[in-house]
Amino acid sequence: MPHSKHLDRTFSVLRDLERAAAPDEIARLLVDAFTRYGVSYVMAGIVPTPGLPARRHAGFVLTSTMPEGWARRYVTRGYALHDPTVRRLCTSATPFDWSTVPPDTPIASRIMNEAGEFGIRAGITIPFVTLDGEPGGISVSGDRIEIDPAERVAVNLVATYAVGQLLLMNSRPSAQAPARLSPRERETLQWAAEGKTDVEIGMVMGITAAGVDYHLRSARAKLDTVNRAHTVAQALRAGLIT
Amino acid sequence: MIHIVTPANAHRYADAMEQAWRLRHDIFVAEKGWTELARPDGREIDQFDTPHAVHFLAMEGDAVIGYSRLLPTTRPHLLSDVLPQLCEVERPVGPQIWEWTRQGVARSHRSKGRVVNPVSIALLTGIVEWGLAHGVNSLLLQMPTLYMIHVIQLHFRPQPLGLPVQIAGEEIMAATARFDARTLAKLRAVRGDSNSVLVSEPAYLVA
Repeated sequence: MPHSKHLDRTFSVLRDLERAAAPDEIARLLVDAFTRYGVSYVMAGIVPTPGLPARRHAGFVLTSTMPEGWARRYVTRGYALHDPTVRRLCTSATPFDWSTVPPDTPIASRIMNEAGEFGIRAGITIPFVTLDGEPGGISVSGDRIEIDPAERVAVNLVATYAVGQLLLMNSRPSAQAPARLSPRERETLQWAAEGKTDVEIGMVMGITAAGVDYHLRSARAKLDTVNRAHTVAQALRAGLIT
Repeated sequence: MIHIVTPANAHRYADAMEQAWRLRHDIFVAEKGWTELARPDGREIDQFDTPHAVHFLAMEGDAVIGYSRLLPTTRPHLLSDVLPQLCEVERPVGPQIWEWTRQGVARSHRSKGRVVNPVSIALLTGIVEWGLAHGVNSLLLQMPTLYMIHVIQLHFRPQPLGLPVQIAGEEIMAATARFDARTLAKLRAVRGDSNSVLVSEPAYLVA
């Protein structure tokens, strides 16, 4: 079957997203994938519950590559509750272009103007709802964005997939009893952290590649991680390997 | 509880299957407006409801309150015969992958304000339990793009088969979704119940 170049590129981004070890890596992969459309920034988050103090808004951000100064101002001033593109998330289930969201209050206009000072003048937001029913959105933005209508579906697909991975990483409880790995699990993970393949690890340890895969999967289950890179990253963070 | 109906036990589910056909008609024809499925007798039955289909019925007492169907990918199914345009790669086929279709919950059992319906989660849990017991490790899905978020959150590993296509005003995509014991654990956590959802059958009846 003839593959479009476009499809191959999309699938390759999805593969990278599946292997990503951390939320900021996912954001970076998205910016890289969408630079061609003029995208400079990515931000994904859950809409903070109205009435939540601004100091707690940061916890609702799943990932962000927004300019440091803008991100800080946005969170400390609680802009999420007044941003017209965020308010739109609670009423719209389909992706929208920021140009179709008129700032309808003085503070909304101020937010959009201030964003412009940071080079954020155009954007697209894709609304979503989590398994728990919380509304959220992922936005891509920049000075000027141009996406061919035919490529919009691919952008939606990639962004949606990324949100799934972000929520998966975000759901991991951090304050729980540390996982205990078996010596074999620790050894396979240690080699995986050195960049070795299953076959190579199997040779070193004198077991089959399938055996290596078994130990890595078992470690993944214990650490409640989503993929190989995420398992290695968690194990390093938890001090289970060095 | 979730009841699995196959030719082996269909004789004991004549009334329940009758309800299931009508529930499908209510949901897919009357509500969703898939008029090409309309039938004068109000029972939505299509060319894929052969003895090879596996029916999952969510039941409360004698009442069918939810339904799902699995079709083997080794025989004609929706992706092969109805929506082939959704698959831009080699079509996945095999005894380990089954196509999930006609997922629906009776209107009386749709909770307000909750995205994921408990009956839907029970049906999916039943499907995964059945799959794990029968050497099945993947579902073939045709769904709105946004559903992929929940698929991932439920610890399935989706692999899209092509770019989404606009069908009847919705962006629909095809994907395979691998599952394993972690998927079942996650579904049970979401349900808040670690017991099987399947009605156990006396061994002599399933043999």
